Amino acid sequence: MALAALLTLADSRLPAGGHTHSGGVEQAIATGVVTDAASLAAFLRRRLATSGAVAAGLAAAACRAVDDADPAAALSCLDAEADARTPSPALQAASRQQGRGLVRVGGRAWPHPAWAAVPPRPHHPVALGVAAAAGGLGPADAATAAAYLAVSGPATAAQRLLAMDPITVAAITARLAPEVDEAASGSAAELPAAADPLLDLLAEVHAARKDRFFAS
Amino acid sequence: MRTVVEVVARRGPGGRTVLPVMRASGQLAVRRTGAASVHLVATAFGPLGGDDAEIRLVVEEGARLSVHTVAAAVVLPQRGASPPSRQAVRAEVAGTLDLAPEPTVVTARATHEADLLVQLGPDGALNATEQVLLGRTEEEPGRWTGTTRVERASRPLLHTTVGLGPGAPAWLPPVAPRAYVSTLRLYGDAPPGVVTGDDAVRLPLPGGWVATAWGAELHEAAARLAAVTAPAGELVAAATGLVPSHR
Repeated sequence: MALAALLTLADSRLPAGGHTHSGGVEQAIATGVVTDAASLAAFLRRRLATSGAVAAGLAAAACRAVDDADPAAALSCLDAEADARTPSPALQAASRQQGRGLVRVGGRAWPHPAWAAVPPRPHHPVALGVAAAAGGLGPADAATAAAYLAVSGPATAAQRLLAMDPITVAAITARLAPEVDEAASGSAAELPAAADPLLDLLAEVHAARKDRFFAS
Repeated sequence: MRTVVEVVARRGPGGRTVLPVMRASGQLAVRRTGAASVHLVATAFGPLGGDDAEIRLVVEEGARLSVHTVAAAVVLPQRGASPPSRQAVRAEVAGTLDLAPEPTVVTARATHEADLLVQLGPDGALNATEQVLLGRTEEEPGRWTGTTRVERASRPLLHTTVGLGPGAPAWLPPVAPRAYVSTLRLYGDAPPGVVTGDDAVRLPLPGGWVATAWGAELHEAAARLAAVTAPAGELVAAATGLVPSHR
């Protein structure tokens, strides 16, 4: 396993555009669902077990699809599965924006013939799986990166929006590690479809706002 | 106990729907109650933990079928550690299928898994409603997991699993509602825009939409669902709380 590639892939400094998204946290704060450290931890847990698990499953499958006889067809199928699991147009747009950002940086960072098989404007987990494969990583690593990113970005967003103590937020994220691993390992072999209508609602209300700070 | 229901709806002479297959075994009976409608009638108590029901529906091209139930399904646990009860609806729809069962009430300690798997033909149309209440009055909530997968011409249109009840991933305070309702409508018309309301959201799908609402009581969740699924002109007046959006 190319461990350093995994660290790079999960690093928030990788310029794939993830920092402009709050993963629903901005609207959760606006509606009072997230107000402090405890409610942030609950929100992150909820996000991890639903959209995080779905992203982990798709990323692992996309990583495997690179070795498929027809990777373009396999990745296109996975992109359609991602669409079916993301009925919210706002969440689809957020995922595709981040997917495109990752293709841009991943293609330069880890040149690989598989990038040519990626559909245009792919969902983020599909791009993440290909980036993992291109970086010499396996499906389990792709799933772990996807599950971790499902909580790390939103945690940072909450820290900024609520002006929270960075150490408190870092501790929340670090303490979720066993659950991140569990979501990743539980999703790596299948394509979960865990949905959270609350996240859909928050995403759509957020997308309609004119005064938002984050893209999603 | 294992329950199997099979209904085939076919376009008959003069465009009327005929039901060449209509059979049931186990805990459900099937009765024809209208020109194109059937009711499923529970013949036993339950479902009880460990019960397994499969409802196979085929609606052929040009045919219509409405499936109803006569009363709420009250899911009960077995004594001790109760295994989940399951219900799977598998439908092949080239015509029009309307699934409108009465609510499912999942009592304390019971766990119920409900699957809806639909293959739509090129002109297939679907209207499916689901109403779930966790626990009877003054009772601890049970667990409910509902998976919906709809494909048109082998392409997935919607695939979601919603888990409700203690321990379910998307059921954490402060948003852990006892009542959940959803309507999935795929009539092949142009998808309308997104509509948001008070604890309710309607999302466009290719050829239709899916709407979900939740609340403390079923009537409350149903009213919220109605507020986001009413004809477009009525929406702005009906929505309360969060600002509705039309995109």
